[in-house]
Amino acid sequence: MTTKRIKVDYMARVEGEGSLDLHIESGQVTAARLGIFEPPRFFEALLRGRGFAETPDIVARICGICPVAYQMTAVHALENAFGVRVEGQLRALRRLLYCGEWIESHALHVVMLHAPDFLGFPDAIRMAAEHGERVRSALALKKAGNALMRVLGGREIHPVNVRVGGFYRVPSRAELAPLAEQLRQARDRAVELVRWVAGFPFPPLERDYEFVALRHPHEYPLNEGRLVSSRSLDIDIADYETEFEERQVLHSTALHSLLKRRGAYLVGPLARYALNFDRLPEHIQALAREAGLGPVCRNPFQSIVVRALEILYACEEALRIIAAYQPPAVAAVPVEPRSGTGFGCTEAPRGTLWHRYDLAADGSLERVRIVPPTAQNQPSIEADLEAVATPLLDQPEALIRERCELSIRNHDPCISCATHFLKLSLHRG
Amino acid sequence: MSGVDAAGRVLVIALGNPDRGDDGIGPAVAARLEGRLPPGVALLVRRGDLLGLIEDWAGVVALVCVDAAAPLGEPGRIRRLDLATDELTRELSLASSHGFGLAEAVELARVLGLAPPRIVVYAVEGCRFTGGTALSTAVAAAVAETAERILAEVGRLLRPTAGVAGP
Repeated sequence: MTTKRIKVDYMARVEGEGSLDLHIESGQVTAARLGIFEPPRFFEALLRGRGFAETPDIVARICGICPVAYQMTAVHALENAFGVRVEGQLRALRRLLYCGEWIESHALHVVMLHAPDFLGFPDAIRMAAEHGERVRSALALKKAGNALMRVLGGREIHPVNVRVGGFYRVPSRAELAPLAEQLRQARDRAVELVRWVAGFPFPPLERDYEFVALRHPHEYPLNEGRLVSSRSLDIDIADYETEFEERQVLHSTALHSLLKRRGAYLVGPLARYALNFDRLPEHIQALAREAGLGPVCRNPFQSIVVRALEILYACEEALRIIAAYQPPAVAAVPVEPRSGTGFGCTEAPRGTLWHRYDLAADGSLERVRIVPPTAQNQPSIEADLEAVATPLLDQPEALIRERCELSIRNHDPCISCATHFLKLSLHRG
Repeated sequence: MSGVDAAGRVLVIALGNPDRGDDGIGPAVAARLEGRLPPGVALLVRRGDLLGLIEDWAGVVALVCVDAAAPLGEPGRIRRLDLATDELTRELSLASSHGFGLAEAVELARVLGLAPPRIVVYAVEGCRFTGGTALSTAVAAAVAETAERILAEVGRLLRPTAGVAGP
């Protein structure tokens, strides 16, 4: 029996630090583990005793790429606890802010982090030498998303304008007007991006995922909806804990999430798309078909196409909201703290993000639970690795390593959110 | 050869996070430079998303950056790198866990033809990058000198004999 080990000390183009161990015995993958050894950050513990009003700014610090997701989930959960609903233009502004985050996060991942894999470049810089216009276009897309974040959130990273009940300050129509022109250009760039990535060479793989995402009666989901799955799950977000559980595993400082009755599941663009295809405008559905996708896509490598479609959706949704915008009379609705429990669930760029807050009568936080998308996807990422590596076992190790890295990047993992660095070890017996 | 003479075409960018020990050298130097740069010379402080730096470079003819450098045994040592001749190694652009540090942002901008013609980096060697800590004594002692050297650098860039062609 021979044993081989491939070790990649620094896996680039993922957010955070982790490791991968692949064990092969008698021609079979016997273990595929995504190890996350970034130290736990204890956000849930440090929030205890804090006032509810501080929460959006603290949870924003969980991630520099998707702070809006954390803010949105927190404010919805806290408003849920206080019996407050934020409607009308304030609700629309929250959706607009979230569109900004989707655009900048997806543009970064699609072009700068993921596309080089498909085109055989080690990174975006080398890719830029041959695909300069695409990279320039991605930077412009990202800039459009960042502009939304800056105008609505006060700054691009870790926005400071979100509060329970609404915002600290709302923009004027004149402040949003320049964004519309930038977004119209971004929309055209997004269409070009969909067509470009649709032509990438995708390894053939169909995975039997149980997709989980929010579903809203009328909208492609961002901030609200019921939690549904491709296998008949349809629950209120408050019932998350009855259907899902988190388990500790030795090789990860992030908890693994599982469906209590069925195990691994997948959140993120593929899940949102499959469960909400009918919520996309018809012309985006048509573009998806032109890009080679049906209403459901089970090939994780094609997640890059879905992300590009979601950039397009976010640009159009942002334009719709800006066109209909009338500044609200107040920047935030009044909030009266009370004891109780509140739940929030939104669609971060990487997938469903769930929060629970138990509050004291003065609005201080007694207990907090935060379930980020990457933590939920770990078991499915590991199952992907096994499925991807198995047909390649007689291939050179470099190819196995390359394909495994690509496979992980399919899910745009945010390891820092989940608790940074990917080290790949391949053991062959 | 003419100097950089138009307002707004010389940019100073200070990089770093003031809450991560010596990574805060950039913001600390920026605080010293505030109000002292010649009219029209912009000063930006950036603590993350260095990919976004490229957006800040549009139309810039000369760029001066200040950033922390990785420990090499001489904390507080100030190194001046003229990127026309010196290489910006990854060690010198440390201090960010993000995928795109200063070296990568400069390299990408060059490939795309978006890099300012003249880039000078002041890299101050750090020794402590722990979250929630202040500048180390050695790096704190280098703040004033770094600021003065950047002021002198900007002065040279603005002189007609600077060797930087205007547009």
